[in-house]
Amino acid sequence: MTSSTNAIRISHLAKHYDGAVAVADLSLAVPKGSMFGFLGPNGSGKSTTIGCLTGLLDPTGGSIEILGEKLTPDSVTLKRRMGVMPETLGLFDPLYAHEFLAFVARMYGLSEAETRQRVTGLLAALELTDTRKTLGKYSSGMRKRVAFAAAVIHSPEVLFLDEPFESIDPGGVAAMKQWLRRFTEQGRTVFITSHVLETVERLCDRVAIITKPGKLVWESDLRALAEGGVLEHEGATFKSVEALFLHLTGEKYADLDWM
Amino acid sequence: MNWSLIGELIRLRYKLMWAKTRSRNGRIALFVIGYLVFLMVMLVLAFGGIGAGIAAIQSGRAQQVTEIVLSALFVNAVFATVIVGFGLSAAFSNTELRRYPLSARERFVARHFLGIVDPFWFFILALELGLAFGLFAWGSFPLWSGIPAALLLTVCSYLVAQSLSVWIDRLLARESGYAIVILLIVLVAMSPGITAAILRGNHAAVAKIFAVLWFTPPFGAAAAMTRGGSEMFLGFAIVIVWLVALLFTLAALERRPLAARKTVRTEGVEWDSRLDRIARVFGPRLAPLIGFWLRFYCRNSRFRVLYFLSLPMAAFLAFSISQPRRGGGSLFVGVFGAMSIVAFLGTARIAVNQYGYAGGALRRFFLFPTDPAASLRAGSYTALLFGAAWIPVAAIVWTIFAPRPLDAGMLLMPALNAVAVLFLFHGFALWTSLYSPKRGNYYKSFGNDLSLAGNVALIGTMLTCILLPQLLHKIAPWVLEPRNWWLSLAADALGLCFYLISLRAATALFPQRREALVAAIEGKS
Repeated sequence: MTSSTNAIRISHLAKHYDGAVAVADLSLAVPKGSMFGFLGPNGSGKSTTIGCLTGLLDPTGGSIEILGEKLTPDSVTLKRRMGVMPETLGLFDPLYAHEFLAFVARMYGLSEAETRQRVTGLLAALELTDTRKTLGKYSSGMRKRVAFAAAVIHSPEVLFLDEPFESIDPGGVAAMKQWLRRFTEQGRTVFITSHVLETVERLCDRVAIITKPGKLVWESDLRALAEGGVLEHEGATFKSVEALFLHLTGEKYADLDWM
Repeated sequence: MNWSLIGELIRLRYKLMWAKTRSRNGRIALFVIGYLVFLMVMLVLAFGGIGAGIAAIQSGRAQQVTEIVLSALFVNAVFATVIVGFGLSAAFSNTELRRYPLSARERFVARHFLGIVDPFWFFILALELGLAFGLFAWGSFPLWSGIPAALLLTVCSYLVAQSLSVWIDRLLARESGYAIVILLIVLVAMSPGITAAILRGNHAAVAKIFAVLWFTPPFGAAAAMTRGGSEMFLGFAIVIVWLVALLFTLAALERRPLAARKTVRTEGVEWDSRLDRIARVFGPRLAPLIGFWLRFYCRNSRFRVLYFLSLPMAAFLAFSISQPRRGGGSLFVGVFGAMSIVAFLGTARIAVNQYGYAGGALRRFFLFPTDPAASLRAGSYTALLFGAAWIPVAAIVWTIFAPRPLDAGMLLMPALNAVAVLFLFHGFALWTSLYSPKRGNYYKSFGNDLSLAGNVALIGTMLTCILLPQLLHKIAPWVLEPRNWWLSLAADALGLCFYLISLRAATALFPQRREALVAAIEGKS
């Protein structure tokens, strides 16, 4: 695939922390307009990779291209085209939801009128209508909704969502899935990490699985699975993403006789 | 009582403290603190507690001197705890302790056991034990009564400090709480001066007050340390009665539910608030960030209390340090230093640790399509704005109370000096925010949660503001003469230069420091 058809291109990405390797040598291409699932066990380097992709972390090696442009610490224009929902959510607890969203919108350069219109729309759509509580007093599900709203408020071309569905109620997840589908139908790209493999299987059209330390072990299209087919890896076949994931990541269950 | 689990929790508390020393900053802090504590303990034992003991014996009035020393220690310990926040970190909250198999009573005991084993209280205990040893070595007063009296008094001081802070915390949760707390602090700050003025020459009133004070914990402990027979037992009884009463008071105060803090908003969304309008003055690029920082400061309860308290506190300080009997200079010399404190005291805690209270939200500043350092600049400008706003108010107050005739130099000089300190302090604050960040709790009303460098910047600047004018008054009085007001203008230029250079350097270094900042504030380093 050429870079023009890819929204994200990672080449030999490496990230080390004081000698510890978080991501070893990761190369990946995410097609434009795709819903891309980025999976891996805890500590495999998913959040570190997202950190590098969003400019939060400086890679130790390799390069990253987003929307055909090389990502550097000064990629201000590029950041305007990206939306991020970090794992830690990144909410300012003393603010009210509308203040926070308006702040984010203004930081992304939206006009005052546009900001008000989008904030009002998002608050209503995400049922964040309790204006008497600051974000610090919101439930974890509500906080996640606010973080999601902040990620999409400026209509980004590439959306990075780190564990977006955990702790949101089923109704909220269904609405988010619908918006994300509409998002990709418009040619925008979504890059998701999640441990809810069933959701990933239903939502994503492409998936990559990494293991410690940030090594790509499988990447493919999921369309075959949706059409009743199977996923393949080195001759073996798997009927679900979960089965393939457990096979690749070597999940073992220790026998605790006292339990 | 589940003492084994409480013991494990105390061990865990110290393990957590030790774990902090694994980082480079932690090791430096440990070395400096260890060195300072060693020096201070030596000094305290040599000249403080033991010295007081010797003085007590040599004066022939052992009980009176012990009463005064113990009272001073008691009051200072309570003030250092409630105002500065030392020794109040409980390590685990009641909610955190709920995960362990502990009853409500055991959780109460565990929390306060964990609280009292804070190094600060060991320091207070060392001072009191020093006094007991001094009395024993030079006056043959028994140690078997001196040591328990010191121990009981330390516990009493801890319980008073805890009860006061829990009460103030409950008070601050109420709508009228801020006004009451500020009024109380002003009254407490002014009471020594007023009391001294009333009691001067009134021996009957002094005797009456001493008769009442005899029933306080420090006087009880002093009797237990220096008297024999029934008077000693009465001294112990007084301290124990206080201890039990304070325990019940603390338990009762903690049982009272914290009133839900009243939210500012009661109806729909407000789009164009006063804060947004102020922020707009800084131009379209900085306005959203300034608006954010204005809200960040304004919604912090500790900032609000300290900010409004800084002016009466500075007035009290100016009055206090200019007392000729304490070796101070004129009121002008006091005001010269104290007015500068107004310029930074309210904002100091957040200014020296700008991202420490943002938590994981710090990441957001690096995700925005702007220069990440713009947030540092905006935060610093906001703190400057708050500090600068107090200087004209302080100058007006000074014009009202200043001795007549008042010339322009007397008015200009402290105000200009305050501007210089404002710039200097916020220049230092940029460096401490960048190189010595520490994760703090935005909602906590008490406790000292600054890093070592943050504390050095804050306490160092305060001490400089208090002591430097006194020193100049003695060695170079011409510097403080109002006709030389232009010297303060030179100090302003120097302060502004330092601030601008710091701002430029810190904003250039900010992107390189982002990983270290995120790691420190998210507790990963």
